[in-house]
Amino acid sequence: MTALPRKVEAGTATDVADIVIAGGGVGKTFGGGAVVALEDASFNIPKGSFVSLVGPSGCGKSTLLRLIAGLIERSSGSLTVHGREVSGPHADVGMMFQRATLLDWRTAVENVLLPTEIHRKPTAEDRSRAVELLKMVGLKDFVFSFPSQLSGGMQQRVALARLLQTGADILLLDEPFGALDEFTRERLNLELMRIVAEVGATTLFVTHNIGEAIFLADKVMVMTPRPGRLARMVDVPFARPRRPELQQTPEFNALVAEVRDILGTH
Amino acid sequence: MVVLTSSTREQDHGTRRGAGSFFHAAAFHPIVRHFAIFAVLIGAWEIGARTGTIDPLVLPAPSAIAEAMWRLFVTQRNIWWHLLVTIGEVLAGFTAGSILGIGLAIVVGLNPMVRKLLKPYVIVLEATPRIAIGPLIIAALGFGWSSKITIVMLVCFFAPFINTLSGMLSVNEGAYELFRSLRANKWQIFTKLMLLDAMPVIMAGLRLAMASALSGALVAEFISASEGMGVLLKRYTASLNMASAFGCLLTLTALGFAIYRTMEAVGNRIVFWRHAPQMDAVSRRRQAQWQRNWGA
Repeated sequence: MTALPRKVEAGTATDVADIVIAGGGVGKTFGGGAVVALEDASFNIPKGSFVSLVGPSGCGKSTLLRLIAGLIERSSGSLTVHGREVSGPHADVGMMFQRATLLDWRTAVENVLLPTEIHRKPTAEDRSRAVELLKMVGLKDFVFSFPSQLSGGMQQRVALARLLQTGADILLLDEPFGALDEFTRERLNLELMRIVAEVGATTLFVTHNIGEAIFLADKVMVMTPRPGRLARMVDVPFARPRRPELQQTPEFNALVAEVRDILGTH
Repeated sequence: MVVLTSSTREQDHGTRRGAGSFFHAAAFHPIVRHFAIFAVLIGAWEIGARTGTIDPLVLPAPSAIAEAMWRLFVTQRNIWWHLLVTIGEVLAGFTAGSILGIGLAIVVGLNPMVRKLLKPYVIVLEATPRIAIGPLIIAALGFGWSSKITIVMLVCFFAPFINTLSGMLSVNEGAYELFRSLRANKWQIFTKLMLLDAMPVIMAGLRLAMASALSGALVAEFISASEGMGVLLKRYTASLNMASAFGCLLTLTALGFAIYRTMEAVGNRIVFWRHAPQMDAVSRRRQAQWQRNWGA
């Protein structure tokens, strides 16, 4: 995987070539138009940026993620990834869900190899990369463990390694650590920041925790429900690498208050 | 009187404590305790039969049953062929029935159209008591092996069919979405996800089928046959040779138990990820395999 330069100053005017995901009035309705899950969302996501999607349940953040992944079809508007219209599952994105969805009958490393196996017979190189990725997510000693022998946090680490094994340069994370306890979640968030910076991927991260959304991201897409709408794209100016103490600064809290305000007034 | 009572009580107390510590010590060896209880039961039964308290036509003495079994297995050796016939029917019928059940469930599970077309027939067939089809099958296929195997097959068909189908239809949603996002084709989703995800339920279905296979074979033999354990059992009860009949019954119990344990062991091996000891072993084996083939 080629390391892509991270946009430190996200939110400044970006070159069109630097946009990897672009939505123009994207909408999604279910039940023949009866339920509007997402309405008229327009956005540009620059290469290598970390974007958080935050909002209450029903604001369409998971819908937007699945539209980008090509798992569901949009009802209106245009949506491009790397300049191509999305029309079904494609190789540019990898997804990770709240539940690890590991296959119980495969060891950790066999789970990580699954994305490769779907497309070709894994080579020795694929295999050593899978082991490397497990080391990267801190599971050096659990390469041959089965999922039920691992804790919830460790299972999500395997899922993250599997996501990186796809080689996709866009990572779609749907509340990946939402089912874990607070301490595990904070630690995994820090590691996630380190890892995506290391591989230089563009990352979309769904959460309903405002603090977490800001702490991790270069940009925060603030979304409001009924109908699901992209209320505002907020730029996060803090330099990287970030330390957990950042969350106690007045500047950080001011930004949290700003996002909360947007969510409250809509 | 008062003194006597008190001394008797003391003695009583003493023996009771002795008995208590005996059972307490025996409790450390559950096998010993079970054996003791078993011996007492058998002894009482033997005495009851010998004194005429128990009618030997209802319940023959344990010694008579043991003698009959010795004759059946060792001196006359006439039980072996019948046992072999019944086991053959069970295995052949079970294999055919479960292959048919699982195979049809896969076709139906992968194909919503076939599912819709077949559903009413499946429900009607399930509502029919399978054993009642027995005489009809014997009328159609005759008294030989094929009719027995067909009856066992019918008895064994449903549990694997229903379980495989429900296992495939209730496939893990998240994992299914994962496979879709990885652009897996239908065959990959079937072999790498659905079949394995359904495996614990399929194995449960096979266990059920195997349990009913023996009953199916015996009933088929009761209806009409010239050989098999059902025939032997019927022949002995008809001639009021109850000791030999009980010998047959005990043999069938042992056979049923052996079948149950075998299915359990096979299930634990196949669905190793549901059983910690098996899982540890497989984990070590795969690690060794990996290191042999791909290095550390």
